[in-house]
Amino acid sequence: MFKKKTPMAAGIAAFATILFAGGCAVADTGKSGQVDYTAMTPHELAEYLIFEANGGGFNLSQEMQEGGTARERMQQDELQKACSIIDDGKPDAETMAAIRTAAQESIVYPEGGIQLGDWKRGRELAWSGFGYRVGHNYDDHSVRDVGGTCYNCHQFATDRTGGNVGPVLTGYGKTRGTSDAILKYAYDMIYNPHVYFPCTHMPRFGSSGFLDEQSIADIMAYMFDPESPVNE
Amino acid sequence: MFRKALLALPVALALGATAHAEKAPEEVLQGLIDSIDSRYLTQSEMNLMMMPDNPALWVGMDGEDLFHTARGPNNVSMEACDFGKGPGVLEGAYVEMPRYFEDTGKVMDLETRIVHCMTDVQGFASDDPAVRQRHGSGSDHMKLQTYIAMQSNGMEWNNPLDHPLEKAMRDAGEVLFARRAGMSDFNCFACHGQSGKQVRASVLPNAKIGEDWTKAISWPAHRVGHDNVRSSQHRVRGCYYQMRQPGMLAGSDASIALISYWTDLARGQPAILPDMKR
Ligand code: HEC
Ligand code: HEC
Repeated sequence: MFKKKTPMAAGIAAFATILFAGGCAVADTGKSGQVDYTAMTPHELAEYLIFEANGGGFNLSQEMQEGGTARERMQQDELQKACSIIDDGKPDAETMAAIRTAAQESIVYPEGGIQLGDWKRGRELAWSGFGYRVGHNYDDHSVRDVGGTCYNCHQFATDRTGGNVGPVLTGYGKTRGTSDAILKYAYDMIYNPHVYFPCTHMPRFGSSGFLDEQSIADIMAYMFDPESPVNE
Repeated sequence: MFRKALLALPVALALGATAHAEKAPEEVLQGLIDSIDSRYLTQSEMNLMMMPDNPALWVGMDGEDLFHTARGPNNVSMEACDFGKGPGVLEGAYVEMPRYFEDTGKVMDLETRIVHCMTDVQGFASDDPAVRQRHGSGSDHMKLQTYIAMQSNGMEWNNPLDHPLEKAMRDAGEVLFARRAGMSDFNCFACHGQSGKQVRASVLPNAKIGEDWTKAISWPAHRVGHDNVRSSQHRVRGCYYQMRQPGMLAGSDASIALISYWTDLARGQPAILPDMKR
């Protein structure tokens, strides 16, 4: 079931059954072995076009940074399935609750508690869009650290221009303080934001393995350290 | 730069003679800007000013020559090819693609149809550079796509959905659009589901707003940042790259399904061809 190497499997299988029936029935017209697209549901056809039609609609054999091939990266885990909704709506309340629970269970806290790292490194990581891109221009993780792409969607310190897909995080530590509760909230948001916002568009930077423990600590330092330009 | 500025008028006139367009592309865009409050449409005043001088106009002119020249092993011009409205008929053809073609039994977008024309009608081998080279203003593909697309400037997107296959592809495209996968869990809505959203400095088009979306899908467009004319297929590839998903194969049925849906999303809105983008 879980072909992806993400540590988020636990708990999420619980709501697998209320989702898609899974599997891709391929209708065969019998006409020279040709597949009849019109006999499939839109969902079946989409899966067929991605993985099967003429060997697949994507470059599926390319090797991925996390191991495995693009074919595996295109496979959806339960959360991705549950949150892939036509017109971008939200799933029903039961599924939303299951997503939160599964997200909570996916979060691994650092031994010795949540720490703030080096805000200077965090500043660069929050800015960097490098990492896990594949295709015609492959991100080679041996030459550069994987960044957080946070500035794509958020404004932090105003010396650089950020996006506004997510809320403004300028002055985050200054306004929120650094209590254990707020540090945990920020850590959870970075690790797996579906705990608080089921089907959010913010990536699961911890659960997916996108950022490692050190990088999360450094980005958090950028958000919370009083010396960081975010809190000027 | 100056040379282009001076040449702009005659080019516009020369193309106008074949394009039947009542409005220039920049006038089509201006009409959209006047009709709706959109940060996406208005984000580049510079591009709007430069559109009468859009380098894509020259690429389209090269395409016109190429289209009407007898080429390939069979020594025939593309006038023999059917882009959906009968052999050689280009006016309004592009805004009604992707569409189902009886002769191939498939739903095809403009790029795949040009490939079909080059190989099956003109007789080029499928690995001939004319067929294989898809990107860059100097490629036959971009010249031809630009020329053909320009014959639909100002016309409303209206890809047919009467044939069951057209409907099936459009519906699969709708699923692809919403489908999350990969390291970032992104689907297209992550960045194109709301108005006025920015990824860094770029204001993004909202797929649910037709006026935004017609500009978004108006390719070929000269991409200023790339200094090249780019296609729909090139844009698809770029977005999947940012999504941390693998490259969609140009001409794959998956890509045509996606483009069928994104064209449907702009239905009834006027196409800006050629456009100019960041
Ligand atoms: C694709 C866009 C996107 C990216 C990339 C992204 N976020 Fe977010 N973020 C959001 C959205 C959207 C929300 C609001 C939650 C919601 O409504 O879904 C959010 C919320 C947050 C919050 C909670 C804000 C609050 O109100 O307390 C924090 C903290 C946060 N993000 C941090 C980060 C960090 C750190 C990174 C980089 C590692 C990052 N985000 C990358 C979209 C993004
Ligand atoms: C992570 C954010 C992100 C996601 C997800 C995304 N895009 Fe985009 N898309 C962009 C950005 C940024 C641009 C504008 C590029 C620029 O301004 O340089 C863009 C541009 C476009 C455009 C052309 C508009 C223009 O002005 O250039 C189209 C059409 C488009 N995207 C379609 C899609 C489709 C289809 C998908 C899903 C397969 C998708 N995008 C997913 C970020 C994204």
